[in-house]
Amino acid sequence: MMKTLKVLAAAAAVFLTAPALAADYPSKPVKLIVTAAPGGGEDTEARAIAPFVEKHLGTTIVIENQPGAGGKIAFEKFQKAEPDGYTLITYTFPKSVIIEYQGKTNYRTKDFTPIFAWSRSSQLLVVNAETWKTFGEFLKAAKTKKLSGGLSGRGSTTHLMGLIALDELGIDANWVPYEGSAGSVAALAGKHLDFTICLATSAVSLIQAGKLRPLLLFSDKRDPYMADVPTPKELGYDMSFIPTLRGVEAPPNTPPAIVKVLEDAFRKAAAEPDFIAVAKKRKMVLEPVTSKEFAKAVADVYPRIGKLQNMLKEGK
Amino acid sequence: MDVVLQAIGFVFQWQTLAALAAGTVYGIIIGLLPGLGPSAGMALALPLVIKWDPAMALIFMGSLYKCSTYGGSITAILVNTPGDASNAATVLDGHPMCQQGRGGVALGLSATSAMVGGTIGMICLIFAAPMLAEFALKFGPAEYFLTAMLALSIISAVVQGATIKGLIAAGLGLLLSTVGFDVITGHLRYTFDWTPLEDGVPLIQALVGLFAVTQALVLAESAASISRLARLAGGFWEGVAIYFRHPVVFLRAAAIGLFVGVLPAVGQSSAGLLAWADAKRSSKHPEKFGDGSPEGVLASETATSACMPGDLVCTIALGIPGSLGAAIFLGVMIVFGVAPGPLAFTEKADVIYSLFVALILTSFVIFVIGMTVARRLAVITLLPNDIIVPLILVISLLGSFAIRNEMSDVIISVVFGALGYVMLKGGFTPIPLLLGLVLGEMVETNYHRALLISGGSYTIFHASVISQVLIALTVLSLAGPYLGSYWRTLTQGEK
Repeated sequence: MMKTLKVLAAAAAVFLTAPALAADYPSKPVKLIVTAAPGGGEDTEARAIAPFVEKHLGTTIVIENQPGAGGKIAFEKFQKAEPDGYTLITYTFPKSVIIEYQGKTNYRTKDFTPIFAWSRSSQLLVVNAETWKTFGEFLKAAKTKKLSGGLSGRGSTTHLMGLIALDELGIDANWVPYEGSAGSVAALAGKHLDFTICLATSAVSLIQAGKLRPLLLFSDKRDPYMADVPTPKELGYDMSFIPTLRGVEAPPNTPPAIVKVLEDAFRKAAAEPDFIAVAKKRKMVLEPVTSKEFAKAVADVYPRIGKLQNMLKEGK
Repeated sequence: MDVVLQAIGFVFQWQTLAALAAGTVYGIIIGLLPGLGPSAGMALALPLVIKWDPAMALIFMGSLYKCSTYGGSITAILVNTPGDASNAATVLDGHPMCQQGRGGVALGLSATSAMVGGTIGMICLIFAAPMLAEFALKFGPAEYFLTAMLALSIISAVVQGATIKGLIAAGLGLLLSTVGFDVITGHLRYTFDWTPLEDGVPLIQALVGLFAVTQALVLAESAASISRLARLAGGFWEGVAIYFRHPVVFLRAAAIGLFVGVLPAVGQSSAGLLAWADAKRSSKHPEKFGDGSPEGVLASETATSACMPGDLVCTIALGIPGSLGAAIFLGVMIVFGVAPGPLAFTEKADVIYSLFVALILTSFVIFVIGMTVARRLAVITLLPNDIIVPLILVISLLGSFAIRNEMSDVIISVVFGALGYVMLKGGFTPIPLLLGLVLGEMVETNYHRALLISGGSYTIFHASVISQVLIALTVLSLAGPYLGSYWRTLTQGEK
């Protein structure tokens, strides 16, 4: 009797150990969750990279859109997903962290397992081309009168970046939140607002057309697609930035062996010439961010967003 | 001119024509299915066309986008369920026509409307896009607030025929639109900690409930069929003939559709209803509207079809999308290296003009499809209710579920179905409620934004000439019915 039990226990132990699982990974299609409706920036980027990842991973990628509550519904389901490498999520980081600070959530971004991020984008300060010509002129005007500034949402990364910038520049503004950047950019082009803070990609067509003028890029280095826009450092300001990354994560407690397989596949996919060509057309700034660097970005961003959200609650 | 001739030459190659026809058929099917809109349709088709020639791929996507509203009109007419908020006005007269056995005539009207409205809209887009876009930019938060108020008051005053009842329904819609995340202050309102409501009351799910579920309940009351006659009277070509007998009505409807389509975020949902209200107001037989008047169907569908090119004006000329569908089309254009914006007309003239020529052509393809396929669908109205009711319920609730793969959405649809049924029995149409729900956020956020910009001063609401005109029209449409017979005829068309 004891002997049979021992054999059974040994058999169970073999079944329960992880290596067997990782060795033949992936053996079935991988589901990639997009936390927004089909067609937005997150969705198109996921669909753009998916075919190249399929090539290097050797399995099909099935994209599933789970929009709702800014992605919160998807994040909460993802927290409980099986960490077997067959369910992944892609979104614009640090959107999930901002949602955590805005209310009760049943997930923690720092629990997720970062895999790889392929692009980084920076915020831009734009004004109507018929108004100020340089950042100096804009600053002078902002010091004499309270200007109204468009945002792509209250508590969004554009809002947080705006708060950091105004704090450092010593000015104040009437914030006017929109839903997404299309509205705030259009209102600026119609001169209903004085300035707008948005992602560079949102304003690029009106900038090229000469309707809007970019005055400042919130980044450490200049953007290759708009090389003539200065950064705060060049103008003598010391600002910290909120990085915006597009990448992919796995559920909490995913085994390192699986993370390694996935990270390699995504890294190789992001380096494919055909993917780089698509990225160029979309004016994405490609920048490989490894699993380790991604994890560090997640850890770093918590205290910063926490501090800014407190400023928001105090009514700034 | 050379560029236009080249574009015509490109479009009339067999490969391009095939892409165009495929996009058209796919768009109509997407429009027919509740819950699947043009945005999901384009996103799903993107991997298929990503390797194609840019002009060809854009033609496929453009025809898909343009034709999806036509698919919605077929379900609006036959089973009283608009595919999207934009077809809501078609329900008003299209479905009563079916009940009178004239479903084929209504389908003829809607196919002709898609052809004529779409063509007029495209011609205006080609020749006047930069000008129209400049006009749209003049609309700031104050003007948007007033436009939404005007649309709501016209529609509540006219659709119901009883201003007070219409306003009650619209007010209920506005109240429901306050549920969810407040964009301006960042607070969650009336969600009762139920995550599915954090985005607000989901629109398509509510629409499925208000129309499809309610309709299923109404049909379940009797064992007959949708058509009260045992056979169909009149056909597709009768609808076409009726259409061309009302040139003034369709030209006005096309102008209204194009005009509101140009304004980002207003267009799609209200174009059809505003044109319907206008047609009723100026008609010699306003009492027939809502009771199966062909003029109602043709006004609503022509405006909806003309609205879509209007929607593309700001998308292509400025790179500012006017609706969710347009935003996705914009994304598709960028993927194919055609950066929208004022420069697109000079830098990528070949691609843009091929797209325009193709989009004019799709209007005719829709008509051919309507003539050959859709007309046969009128027999659905002869099926007994015990077959059609389960079909409507299964397909519509499945569509509602498929949007976010959430069972809670099915619950929301069923609740709205019950609400719609109660309203109907109480003599209310659910359309002002739907419009209140659609425009509610626009009304509230733009009111708030205007006051943020003005620093709390109300003068911003009558500062521009556009605002003053909008205020005058709103007051007139609400007070008109009470100011004596001359004003009542002018604002509501009733004698």
